[in-house]
Amino acid sequence: MVEVGRHPNIELITLGEILKVDGEPGNFTATIKKKPRYVDETKCIACGECVKKCPKKVPDPYNAGLIKRKAIYVQYEQAVPLKYAIDPEHCLKLTKDKCGNCEEACPTGAIDYGQKEEILEINIGAVILSSGFTPFNPSEYDNYQYSSFKNVVTAMEFERILSAAGPTQGEILTIEKEPKHPKKIAWLQCVGSRDINRAKNEYCSSVCCMYAIKESLIAKEHLGKDFEPSIFFMDIRAHGKDFEKYYERAKKEGVRFIRSRVHTISEDPKTETLRIGYLTESGKVEKEDFDMIVLSVGMTANASARQVADNLGIKLNRYNFVKTDDLMPVSTSRDGIYTAGVMQGCKDIPQSIVEASAAACYAGMKLADARGDLVKEKKFPVENSIKDQSPRIGIFVCNCGANIGGIADVKSIVEYAKTLPNVEYVTENLFTCSQDTQTNMSEIIKENKLNRIVVAACTPRTHEPLFQETLRNAGLNPYLFEMANIRNQCTWVHSKEKEKATAKAKELVKMAAARASLLEAIPDISVNVGNKALAVGGGVSGITAALSLASQGFFTTIVEKSDKLGGAAKHIAKTSNQEDVQTFLADIIEKANNHPNVEVLLNAEVTDASGFVGNFETNIIHNGEEKTLSHGIGIIATGGDATDTEEYLYGKDARVTKWNDFEKAFDKADNPQNIVFIQCVGSRDENRPYCSRVCCTSSVMKALDVKKKFPNTNVFILYRDIRTYGEKERLYKEAREAGVIFIKYDLENKPIVTSGKKYLEVKVFDPILQTNLLIEADLINLATAIAPSDNKKLAAAYKLSVNEDNFFMEAHAKLRPVDFTTDGVFVCGIAHYPKPIEESIAQAMAAASRATIILSKSSIRISPLVSSVDKEKCIGCGLCVEVCSFAAIILEDVEGKGLRAKNIEASCKGCGLCAASCPQKAIDMLHFKEKQIFASIQAAA
Amino acid sequence: MAEFEPRILAFLCNWCAYAGADLAGVSRMQYPSNIRAVRVMCSGRVDPSFIVRAFKQGWDGVLVAG
Amino acid sequence: MSRKKEQKNIGAVMVAGGGIVGMQSALDLADSGFYVYLVEKSSSIGGAMARLDKTFPTNDCAM
Repeated sequence: MVEVGRHPNIELITLGEILKVDGEPGNFTATIKKKPRYVDETKCIACGECVKKCPKKVPDPYNAGLIKRKAIYVQYEQAVPLKYAIDPEHCLKLTKDKCGNCEEACPTGAIDYGQKEEILEINIGAVILSSGFTPFNPSEYDNYQYSSFKNVVTAMEFERILSAAGPTQGEILTIEKEPKHPKKIAWLQCVGSRDINRAKNEYCSSVCCMYAIKESLIAKEHLGKDFEPSIFFMDIRAHGKDFEKYYERAKKEGVRFIRSRVHTISEDPKTETLRIGYLTESGKVEKEDFDMIVLSVGMTANASARQVADNLGIKLNRYNFVKTDDLMPVSTSRDGIYTAGVMQGCKDIPQSIVEASAAACYAGMKLADARGDLVKEKKFPVENSIKDQSPRIGIFVCNCGANIGGIADVKSIVEYAKTLPNVEYVTENLFTCSQDTQTNMSEIIKENKLNRIVVAACTPRTHEPLFQETLRNAGLNPYLFEMANIRNQCTWVHSKEKEKATAKAKELVKMAAARASLLEAIPDISVNVGNKALAVGGGVSGITAALSLASQGFFTTIVEKSDKLGGAAKHIAKTSNQEDVQTFLADIIEKANNHPNVEVLLNAEVTDASGFVGNFETNIIHNGEEKTLSHGIGIIATGGDATDTEEYLYGKDARVTKWNDFEKAFDKADNPQNIVFIQCVGSRDENRPYCSRVCCTSSVMKALDVKKKFPNTNVFILYRDIRTYGEKERLYKEAREAGVIFIKYDLENKPIVTSGKKYLEVKVFDPILQTNLLIEADLINLATAIAPSDNKKLAAAYKLSVNEDNFFMEAHAKLRPVDFTTDGVFVCGIAHYPKPIEESIAQAMAAASRATIILSKSSIRISPLVSSVDKEKCIGCGLCVEVCSFAAIILEDVEGKGLRAKNIEASCKGCGLCAASCPQKAIDMLHFKEKQIFASIQAAA
Repeated sequence: MAEFEPRILAFLCNWCAYAGADLAGVSRMQYPSNIRAVRVMCSGRVDPSFIVRAFKQGWDGVLVAG
Repeated sequence: MSRKKEQKNIGAVMVAGGGIVGMQSALDLADSGFYVYLVEKSSSIGGAMARLDKTFPTNDCAM
């Protein structure tokens, strides 16, 4: 978030509303209405004095209305921009012309009641819409009793209750006069989802099962052993990567899962205990009491997003989400306008992030010729060398209005600082971060020939970059700078102990000055980048990624193991929205074969690789010949396929098929009586404890096809949970309406298939009828697990990790779903996790987008805070190589010395694990050198 | 005699624990003032010898958080 | 490459919505050579994810 706020090429327009977009793709004009903030952003320093004086309390939407905030507010403490805003509907000054307290309280004169609405026009080439969703509001539906009983809360509210920064500081309490820790909490699933009777939302919101499990587990962590969480559900949809393991963990840790339909919620008026009445799977009526009920509310299309769609003239789908095609995910009905996230349909965070990058990729492809036209880069004066100079420290102590100055005695800190070694100049500022102080600071540095700067103020996490820029403006290296955190970690947390706070602040300044004396100038590092790409795998993902890069001018080589492009998609007829996959596949294969920027190598395999971001060398065997490819980035798209099984007579009886072999068997069948689909064959068990994600949808679609052709054929789907997530739920509904019979089975009680003369006999226990059924099946189709290709060799070549199930592990499950911890390599498609074609396409484009960040530059600047190896001390033991998670240190042969460690600056993240592990102390970390750290430890000892 | 008050040195990871300490400030949580933080880029940077060194120099307690 | 349009494409993109998705799109584009206008209807960016306590399966902090 902070990165967005500080980016020189991202302009934030807050309180903005898009009125219209005119023009053509590549050259649009957007008209935006910017509402007044009533606070001058350039003056507000977010000290919070205004809030203290504001008399008007308003329900706080950030905390789901659980508590109140003031009419002048920031949404939350880490908000970007961290600038206050006045809520014009509630402010007494703006509504009734009374009050004016905040204007008086503001130390910088930032309050401006006279601000007016502005209309802005901006010129752009493309638009990305990502306006999110609105949580389902259960208050109108009396069956949930949300409005009547206090202890019925929504999951969003419960999320805030769990949060350490929330209204109860993370303590879970019932909502009543004398709050207590709840002993029993029930989560009710599918509130406002999969509900055509009341909420009229037939789709599945896709995320609620997992967040309910998460909330129940965290509540358990908070409340301990005696706490009893229960989840009332229809199907648990743990269809994402590593979700099934999380579900299993929850079961082990004592979360109770009750497959049921809840019919009433009532409250004991005296004890305020809540009672849930429900029907079990077998139709028994039960009731149970709880202290609290959490409604797992679904996601609905945003009203304001709808407004934007109307203003921009783009089409919405039947659920009011932005309409896209499966084979063109994230493209809206208007050329040049793209969409991502839940605005397009219900999905979780990683999938939303994938789409965000995919949308960026589309925009980048559209505007490839204008890349770099409008970006700005800051210019700084030439750096003065401080070599051979003794330290001359300048210290700037900030009052931060009253935030520091009101608690600590800043004058005495200044006097104290003057007595410290090497200190040449000390001053205090009301606000060190203000624009005019920055200009002054630059002059002071030059006048006094200062060569180390200490700012005693807030935190380096927010302000270090600002001050470093000032140093650069004054011709100093930015690393000759240190901050003493005397606000966040001193006056704010010791506000009642003024003397102690002053004493601590002095020590913090002393530590900072001691460290500053030893700071060294660190030159910028940049590495040159080769602008070719390599895609490993020639399925839909690999081809899509390659074409996306090629169309932006980056030459891409596709290395495909087999003798054909197409991968797993070769066997897929259509997407869940009935779009034709084979035509699409033929089209992209032809494009790949004919594109001047794409090279296709069939019968080719990667053997090993070396190098780092921007500079990879990969060895391959192509048609038996060895070759070396040089490339700047790599995309891993090795895919996966349906596994074989030994269960259910597969391979022994031709009437038992898997996946799309069914179509062939079915084409031959003449008016079959009974057809059985068995789900989770080899998925969600001990060997493969994951859900293969696509099988439920696929079998439901096949079942519908059967019903269409032979309406009288009985079709049975034997399942464990039906996971037709998101809008695929509609197919499940259609299948039930078409008469497809769904029978749930358990892992402990699997169906049994035996071969009869005329039929295949399928025995299965029906939990609704509570009896064993015998089905005489003409055909059986198995949804066998989807497994990845053998990725071990490739993982070793690029130092990537795979999870227990052999799928590649991304850098972060939520926030970096296509990156690896190894920079410059990206993952997409089934190599990452089983997924339907539309998600593979989006992920491939996302990988291309991430790759473009590197390929679009001739060199990339990297953080110079890296390890440095003393080759004289190093004994080549290799411990550092072993501990490094980023493949940023290698052993190289130094003539006459043997093996010696060598750091790869471009890959180093500066964590320092190698330095801490080195038995010879041959590795030190720039800017966090041992002597620098010791200096501060010693200064305050 | 005043009650013994230990002096505690804390190595805080820039990305989590140090950020957490900042957030404690933003939330105005109050805690004793006898702790001094040293920011590191990762708790992995903390060589066990740093801890020994700190004790030798007279710190009474060392916290490594990350 | 010959272009029919006389006018060249504009190297800027408008991203509507300052949640986690908008931020990701904006960063990808700004880091690969485009100027980005990030339009957010409320007073600060962050969206729904900033309200979450933790995220599964790693139980990481949502911030």
